[in-house]
Amino acid sequence: MAEEVAWFCEENDLDAEVEFDLNLAMEELFTNALRHGGCEGMKEAVQIRLERGEGRVEAQFSDRGPEFNPATVPPPKLELSLADRTLGGLGLHLVRRAMGDLAYCRSEGWNHVSMRRPV
Amino acid sequence: MIQIAEQIRSGWCVVEIRGRADAETAEELERALRSAIGQHPKVAADFVAVDYISSAGLRAVLQAGRAAQERQAEFTVCRVRGPVKKVFEVSGMHHVLRIEEDLPC
Repeated sequence: MAEEVAWFCEENDLDAEVEFDLNLAMEELFTNALRHGGCEGMKEAVQIRLERGEGRVEAQFSDRGPEFNPATVPPPKLELSLADRTLGGLGLHLVRRAMGDLAYCRSEGWNHVSMRRPV
Repeated sequence: MIQIAEQIRSGWCVVEIRGRADAETAEELERALRSAIGQHPKVAADFVAVDYISSAGLRAVLQAGRAAQERQAEFTVCRVRGPVKKVFEVSGMHHVLRIEEDLPC
């Protein structure tokens, strides 16, 4: 996946910071789909679409897991102590910080999460 | 892809990490940091050559921090740079870990 993101960024003249953020967002969504979204072991479970727009990159991550809207996940409590801090929600927090707001829709058995990052 | 090496300098075990701290490499990173913390009272994780980190990598570092707290070992994360530093900052790592600009030794 990192290789494909690198290829997309090179083809579209996007800098290392954009590449980092796209990698991060796609990895977090992919890991969530596999570990918590019921996609583990499922064939052709996810699709990623990246598109260069005017002054932005549009990214869409789709998976065939059960219906799940990541925009409903509350932000993690970052100020808790090491002992009390839970590790859930950190991945989606990073996706939002890298890509901005997440738009969600469910269609024909797929979850679609769309993001726009200014470049 | 991650490469991890250990060096002992002035009483510190410096764990030099190079490459990507992601879902694929997080287990290896956590194992290396825990092993260093199990054997040395002072451990510094050198992040200067880490060029990518995701929540899986952060989780490995947090778990190492917990292990250090339990063993009452000193644990510091040093020389975090560029976009990796930004990920540390937006994740509030400075609330729970000792993060330094330079190595302690």
